Amino acid sequence: MASVTDFSHHGVDAHHEHEHHIPTGWRRYLYSTNHKDIGTLYLILAIICGLIGTVLSILIRAELMSPGVQVFPWISAIMTGDGSADAAKNMYNVFFSSHALIMIFFMVMPAMMGGFGNWMVPLMIGAPDMAFPRLNNMSFWLLVASFLLLMCSMFAEGSPGMHGFGGGWVLYPPMSSQVGTPGPAADFVILSMHLAGASSILGSINFIATIFNMRAPGMTMFRMPLFPWSVLVTAFLLLLSLPVLAGALTMLLTDRNFHTTFFEPAGGGDPILFQHLFWFFAHPEVYILIIPGFGMVSQVVATFSKKPIFGYVGMVYAMLAIAFLGFAVWAHHMFTTGMSLNAQRYFVFATMVIAVPTGVKVFSWLATMWGGSLSLRPPMLWAIGFVFVFTVGGVTGVVLANAAIDRYLHDTYYVVAHFHYVMSLGAVFSIFAGFYYWFPKMTGYLYDERLAKWHFWVSFVGINLAFFPQHFLGFQGMPRRVVDYTEAYAFWNMVSSIGAFIGGAGTLIFVYVLYDAFKVKRVAGANPWGPGATTLEWQLPSPPPFHTWEEPPHILGDEHDHAPAIVGHGSAA
Amino acid sequence: MTASRDHDGRTVSLGGRTGRNNRLIGVGGIAFAMGMIGLTYAAAPFYSAFCRATGYEGTPQQAKANTDAEGHRILRVGFDANVAPGLAWTFEPEDESIEVRTGKTVTVYFRVKNLSDSPTEGHATFNVTPEVSGGYFNKISCFCFTTQHLGPHESAEWPVVFFLDPALEKDPSMDRVDSITLSYTMFAPPAEKPTADRGGPAG
Repeated sequence: MASVTDFSHHGVDAHHEHEHHIPTGWRRYLYSTNHKDIGTLYLILAIICGLIGTVLSILIRAELMSPGVQVFPWISAIMTGDGSADAAKNMYNVFFSSHALIMIFFMVMPAMMGGFGNWMVPLMIGAPDMAFPRLNNMSFWLLVASFLLLMCSMFAEGSPGMHGFGGGWVLYPPMSSQVGTPGPAADFVILSMHLAGASSILGSINFIATIFNMRAPGMTMFRMPLFPWSVLVTAFLLLLSLPVLAGALTMLLTDRNFHTTFFEPAGGGDPILFQHLFWFFAHPEVYILIIPGFGMVSQVVATFSKKPIFGYVGMVYAMLAIAFLGFAVWAHHMFTTGMSLNAQRYFVFATMVIAVPTGVKVFSWLATMWGGSLSLRPPMLWAIGFVFVFTVGGVTGVVLANAAIDRYLHDTYYVVAHFHYVMSLGAVFSIFAGFYYWFPKMTGYLYDERLAKWHFWVSFVGINLAFFPQHFLGFQGMPRRVVDYTEAYAFWNMVSSIGAFIGGAGTLIFVYVLYDAFKVKRVAGANPWGPGATTLEWQLPSPPPFHTWEEPPHILGDEHDHAPAIVGHGSAA
Repeated sequence: MTASRDHDGRTVSLGGRTGRNNRLIGVGGIAFAMGMIGLTYAAAPFYSAFCRATGYEGTPQQAKANTDAEGHRILRVGFDANVAPGLAWTFEPEDESIEVRTGKTVTVYFRVKNLSDSPTEGHATFNVTPEVSGGYFNKISCFCFTTQHLGPHESAEWPVVFFLDPALEKDPSMDRVDSITLSYTMFAPPAEKPTADRGGPAG
């Protein structure tokens, strides 16, 4: 094995004379073209937006704690000066719409792709940086601009006399057209999504070029670890689906402002067309939110089982299959729009087929753990938690895939419970698994593992308590996106709200873990996880130097192997 | 794969084959994304043609004449007429609903009156529910095929000639459908042009 942890010999290369001219201060970040700095910026953005999105959700749960409208008149009065019942209901709609958009586009996507993708993909494939470093900088700052536009929309006029856009993250016309939201709030949301889309499209092209073209010699596609694979698959999903959203939103924007009639019945348009275009984007989008998580969980499970991942090639093909099928099932979100029975049969069947590659992944994680030498350190707890909650969310997904059952459960809290199990628990758990796994690598510091475990257990209990009862509410028929409900739903809503508050407390522990880690500065060393950590990033010091892999690492083993390259048996530092 | 760097330690360019391949993927990726946006726009006329061809989303079919033999099912066909805000017309069906045997050609009338003091134009959009019945609802003639003009306070009776395709008896989706509603909404012409001309559904 090459002594890749020893950087002293690099000094002989003339190129590296400049290595120590690291830009400082705000210039380092504002002008940054360094994949690690940009990754850090993405992670900071994701944490800030995640906290904002969490506050919105806690306020939503506070409102839903008991029947009646109690909390939002206050919020509306504080934010807009109008505490009337109508303004309160409108503000509630604005909150759940913004909650979804923030969590999807400004928390999960930046954390997984922008944050961990940028940080770890070049390190794990032995590339010196991303293929287009300046484009990478642009992707990040476009996303910041996009977030600011979304925040602007909350304070702009939407429905007459009301603030913000309250039509849900799906942006369906006529709610999002001139009829439902004549004010500029909807335009702000549309433009915000345009920028977020442009940011992600540029980012995905960057990942595709990097992974196809900049791997170290010997790092063949089928020797690449699963996380870069998951980022590659996700990048293709983004490149295929986001332009469709961009196109649909442009049509919506011109419908609103330039008298086109793509979705206006008066001119021969059809709002259902928007739903088709939207879900052609948005179903792949939900896989975009989870596939990088698959990659992270695979790394973590293998590391802490001290075994190579079970069924590596199967795992890769399962991701490809999920991505491919993700484009062929969009209308299962539209079972109630009056499709023929045959169309429904097709979409039911295609949707259920996705359970097969997903099952391959779940069983491969279990098989990796089976007989492994497990160490239940914080990243592993989150990864095991992920497997559990993702499976629960997957099973309820198979239930909802049935058109006949969906007729009853459509737009109820059952759906809310389902997608929060895969997103708010699944995707978020995988992000925390990745975060606790790579935090020592990124910062050079270990966190307080006892506190991190507390973070896990409090979050696990809280979020399950919040979302599991919502299955019951859905079966009882409680519709989603309502500010008020009958007395019959009071009990489980109370339980769910208490769970959300406990989950919120978990988030506070997370913030404290961060504070504590940077305050106490426990030195992590190159590899704090021991012999299970066999990927390239653990061969570098923690934190890695500003420039890495300018001399490509030496990858051992047969290039024709179909197994992730093992680059060392990480000696603990 | 060596990256050259400027004095700030930023990447300037990747030399040789890697740089060229990167640019190829970059340009290809942008072109692909643009192509997807183009396809999204192409989806609008395609969707409209698809609805016309298949009756999807309750789009009735347009037929020249009824040549089919009569079928044996009898369905109730209801009529619904609406006027969108901005058009001072009244608009209502003569009969709320009628019983129709499949394959039999029927004519129904809609009463319409211009309440304003000026001549106005209106254009009707239409569909049938349940949406699955769109493919079997054949209109031979309809006032909704063209823009209609009414003078000040003029009233009129407009016919719709249609038949139900007996093929619906063979479609399991239609087994439990015994009532179809034909709905119209009369719109004033858009205040300002241009309107995207994408050949709205006929039928």
